[in-house]
Amino acid sequence: MIIVIGAGPAGLAAAEAASRNGSEVALIDSSSRLGGQYWRHRSKVTGYRSNRADEIFAKVSAAQSITHISEANIWSAEREGNLIRVNYLQGGIESSLTAEKVIIATGAYDRTLPFPGWDTPGSMTPGAAQSLLKGQGVLVGKRIIVAGTGPFLLPVATGLAEAGAEIVALIDANSPLRWSLSPLALLTNITKFSELVYYVRLMRKFRIRPHFGRAVTTFANGVATISAVNSGFHIKSGKSQAMRADVVAVGWGFVPDLSLGGILGCAQRVDSDGTVIFEVDENQLSSQPQIWIAGEATGIGGADLSLIEGEIAGLAASGQKIRHALLTERVRKQRFANALKRSYPVRDGWREWITSNTTICRCEEVKSQEIKDSVSELGAEDSRTSKLFTRAGMGLCQGRMCSRNVSEIVSGITQCAVTDGERIAASNRPIAAPISLGQLSDGKNSR
Amino acid sequence: MKNPDAIVIGAGIVGASSALSLTNAGLKVLVIDRGAVSSGTTGAGEGNILVSDKDPGPELTLALHSRNLWFEMQEDVGDSFELEAKGGVVVARRDDGPLMKLATEQSHHGVTIEKCNETRLHELEPYLHPDISSGVFYPQDAQCQPMLAAAHVIRTVVQRGGEFISQAKVTRIIVEDCAVVGIETTRGTFRVPIIVNATGTWAGELAELAGSYLPIAPRKGFILVTEPTKKYIFHKVYDSDYVANVASSDADLQTSTVVEGTRSGTILIGASRERVGFDGAMSYEILRTLAAQATSLFPVLRDVQLLRAYRGFRPYAPDHLPVIGQDAKVKGLWHSAGHEGAGIGLAPGSAALITDAILGRDSFMDGAAFSPARFATVNS
Repeated sequence: MIIVIGAGPAGLAAAEAASRNGSEVALIDSSSRLGGQYWRHRSKVTGYRSNRADEIFAKVSAAQSITHISEANIWSAEREGNLIRVNYLQGGIESSLTAEKVIIATGAYDRTLPFPGWDTPGSMTPGAAQSLLKGQGVLVGKRIIVAGTGPFLLPVATGLAEAGAEIVALIDANSPLRWSLSPLALLTNITKFSELVYYVRLMRKFRIRPHFGRAVTTFANGVATISAVNSGFHIKSGKSQAMRADVVAVGWGFVPDLSLGGILGCAQRVDSDGTVIFEVDENQLSSQPQIWIAGEATGIGGADLSLIEGEIAGLAASGQKIRHALLTERVRKQRFANALKRSYPVRDGWREWITSNTTICRCEEVKSQEIKDSVSELGAEDSRTSKLFTRAGMGLCQGRMCSRNVSEIVSGITQCAVTDGERIAASNRPIAAPISLGQLSDGKNSR
Repeated sequence: MKNPDAIVIGAGIVGASSALSLTNAGLKVLVIDRGAVSSGTTGAGEGNILVSDKDPGPELTLALHSRNLWFEMQEDVGDSFELEAKGGVVVARRDDGPLMKLATEQSHHGVTIEKCNETRLHELEPYLHPDISSGVFYPQDAQCQPMLAAAHVIRTVVQRGGEFISQAKVTRIIVEDCAVVGIETTRGTFRVPIIVNATGTWAGELAELAGSYLPIAPRKGFILVTEPTKKYIFHKVYDSDYVANVASSDADLQTSTVVEGTRSGTILIGASRERVGFDGAMSYEILRTLAAQATSLFPVLRDVQLLRAYRGFRPYAPDHLPVIGQDAKVKGLWHSAGHEGAGIGLAPGSAALITDAILGRDSFMDGAAFSPARFATVNS
């Protein structure tokens, strides 16, 4: 049997591909429906080429050899001889599943940067605004600013507009001219233009004005400060304006969730954009035998690349032949993914947006000044020591949101670059999801 | 610092308190560490300052004095580092005979004890399992936040003229005529007549660099950390098996229940002990065992979420006693290491002992039992 973890684009493609030769597949996901964060939907997926989602949903649902285990939160995984055991919580009860092979496709979550007011009501990530809309049909506000950087802001802004919101502004801190750095990627992915055209039309239709080289640098009581920033994200003086909005949805790209692969010992490295990702070979096999990894956890690249990586992983894990064309297609999409990273970098000028009173770790309510003091007064040199002194990253989310920002703040004071070792250590957690001590104890008695 | 009087290697709590005590005695002290402050076992500790888990003998004498020195150090440094004399409650699940016998012996040795009947026990710990009816209360047991403590202590050393250099790995200890004359590190070479080896679990490696020998081995332990909760646990509570497990020399896994709340509202659960080298692998079976033991002591914890788990390596010496004193072979090389799971509690006491020994003055106790020479006779 093959366990596929995650039912987003990569996991769906992996499960579908593996099932083609009749391999038994268990597709485990924390949501009640297929689709993951990106294709989370109520009835029909909307957005550019959403029929791809419907096609793969249909195939996965029709495949006899795929079992969908929904609403299951995996908290740990371990090796047992030749098998891999995956421990999960479902309906308050701990269960587990073993298989010879595992495909990890756990996707990514929004990257956030702190700014004064990012922790107040009305401030959220684009991913949160989108999933509330797609998952629960809830529109988060009437007047919304969508900001941050990256192409993901387009489907979020247009999706919210279609649902009836007024998009006050669509703000990207980077300039679209950065695409000129990647001519080859553009030429070899010419079909991406039709996706752009699709969204530009929607933006015209809903009168959404894009602003470039700007960022939301404060938000309070329904007023956002929009500052002009240079290519290093430093605020240009005298070029700020105030905009009224009841919601600011601000996102800075994505961070993959590495917990499970990390628990199983899969090797990681730091990608060109500073993101920690898994090392995989050309068949998406990780450094650990029997474990394949596909999608965002092997490098942020979007749904198109995830689908291909998932398909390759599914074919490889089930021992099927992988067409050469599929591998070439992945190279092409990876080239585009790399161009995305070049076009939408996150620069460290954001550290000047925060004040001493800005919250950095929301779970433990640690302020920027406390992080600074932990370095200058107590000798913290990285996010780990700063965490030990300030508790930043010790709360409910276990540093998923703040540890990278803490590293950058500390590095700004020590003037020492964040090391790859620190980035990797801060991306790994032995408990992938909270489990109650009762559930944990009962698991002992049942074995 | 050009010519320090002494170099302390290791910026954990043992090194930090040694540096403070030497500084207060008038020496110019340089502290170095291969990582940052508190980056070794101190950074993985619960902050135990216990007298309850010690058998009568030299370690208990050290623990009792050291416990008082913790409060003096707090005054000296001027920061709280969450130090609190919260008291310990040791419970006997089955036969309470051995626990009561130990408590009586400890009380003859100067430990304050209170033997508790069922009513008193549940008054101290209202959420304790109703079936548990016997225990001992040790009001002297205390807790601190050890990483903060080490950082504040080192800061004080620096304020008083000392220096701290992080990320400095020792590459050579220069020994001439069986005496220390200096060290080479990745961040500079220093001439110095006195070195304090406070490298904890790694103290054996450092002794080897000087051409000497110390049998310190890692004894791995896991700690579970829960979400912040309402106050369910009022003291440090542990099972009387714990004392036997601490004293065990078996390399195999031992687990006993230790449960306590922290200032931030989380609950810490230990304690496992196993000697498996520096293998840091997570064992979910051990986590399950620890959770089962903790929930059997406090059923209310069943609904509390586990957020994280971490492991550390205690510096284990074969006879379970710390190693405090001058090296048997190399003059000027002083060890203060091998405190196993008691390093936080024993740190200021060990610092006082080593400072007195270095300065050749009388100390509060005879430290002969801790002498590194006890291993040299076996291995030379």
